[in-house]
Amino acid sequence: MTERMQHFDENLDLQVSPKLSKDLSALFEPKHPVPPEVDRAVSDKIHRHLVGIKPLEGKRRRFHWVALWKVAAAAAVVIFAFSLDLTKKPEPLTNRSVLTGAQATDIDLNGRVDILDAFTLARQIENADHIATKWDMNGDGLVDHSDVDIVALAAVRLEKGVL
Amino acid sequence: MSKIFIIILTSVSVMVPVLAQQSAQDEPVDGPKTRFSPLHIDIDSGRQSLAAYQFELKVVTGWIKIVGVEGGRHKAFKEAPYYDPAALTKDRIIIAAFNTGRDLPTKRTRIATVHLQIIGEVEPEYELKLIVAADEEGKEISAKISYEKGESK
Repeated sequence: MTERMQHFDENLDLQVSPKLSKDLSALFEPKHPVPPEVDRAVSDKIHRHLVGIKPLEGKRRRFHWVALWKVAAAAAVVIFAFSLDLTKKPEPLTNRSVLTGAQATDIDLNGRVDILDAFTLARQIENADHIATKWDMNGDGLVDHSDVDIVALAAVRLEKGVL
Repeated sequence: MSKIFIIILTSVSVMVPVLAQQSAQDEPVDGPKTRFSPLHIDIDSGRQSLAAYQFELKVVTGWIKIVGVEGGRHKAFKEAPYYDPAALTKDRIIIAAFNTGRDLPTKRTRIATVHLQIIGEVEPEYELKLIVAADEEGKEISAKISYEKGESK
């Protein structure tokens, strides 16, 4: 005790006089000796008390975990956003691409939709033959070259596959 | 410790596919060499006039991307033919065109030129299939299709 005190403040004389020490001992000395069970019970209570404090620390830790998850999630969102390349402009929706989606028909009835269907329809239009309204592919009330385009684009569509 | 591992694992599993997708979208910067080359397509219809054609081109060897399609030499097929825009940046395309006029080519004629980006050192080989060729009456005719590699740039 004395050594420690000296270590912290060497100039301070904290030595207690033997008389004072004796008086204090007499004053606070237990009248009956403390049994070891009581000692153990006290130390157990202290232990339980300290354990009770731990949840606070746990909360703090959980808070750190939550924060870490948030940071990780935010990083993932940022990376995902960059990967979308928002600077890329969408392709203009041209008439042709709209037409491609329309349903085309096997006009020459050879069992497949190919360029000859478009060719047949184009010839009919140019010759001003009677053109059945069923070839109005885009439903605009006219059978014209835009309907021919629909058939031609259906013929070259990759999805159907040929080879 | 195990929680850190889980977080790292989750982050990696989220980020890796995203980054992989992004790198796949990007052009290779320090990757293989690329060059651009035209592929000229000819059809020989013999004595018969050629009024319509449709063919499919695909790559069997090498790595290419289709970057554009141009019409042929004869004025009947000078305009850009029909093709699926989805074929651009891919290695397979179906091309078709027709002309209802009377001035039509006979014998061997260039009907289209496909512009390609060739990636890597492997010289690409192509498979060309004539789906249909027809005369001015719309009747199917027999014809031969062939390609000629143009000068690379």
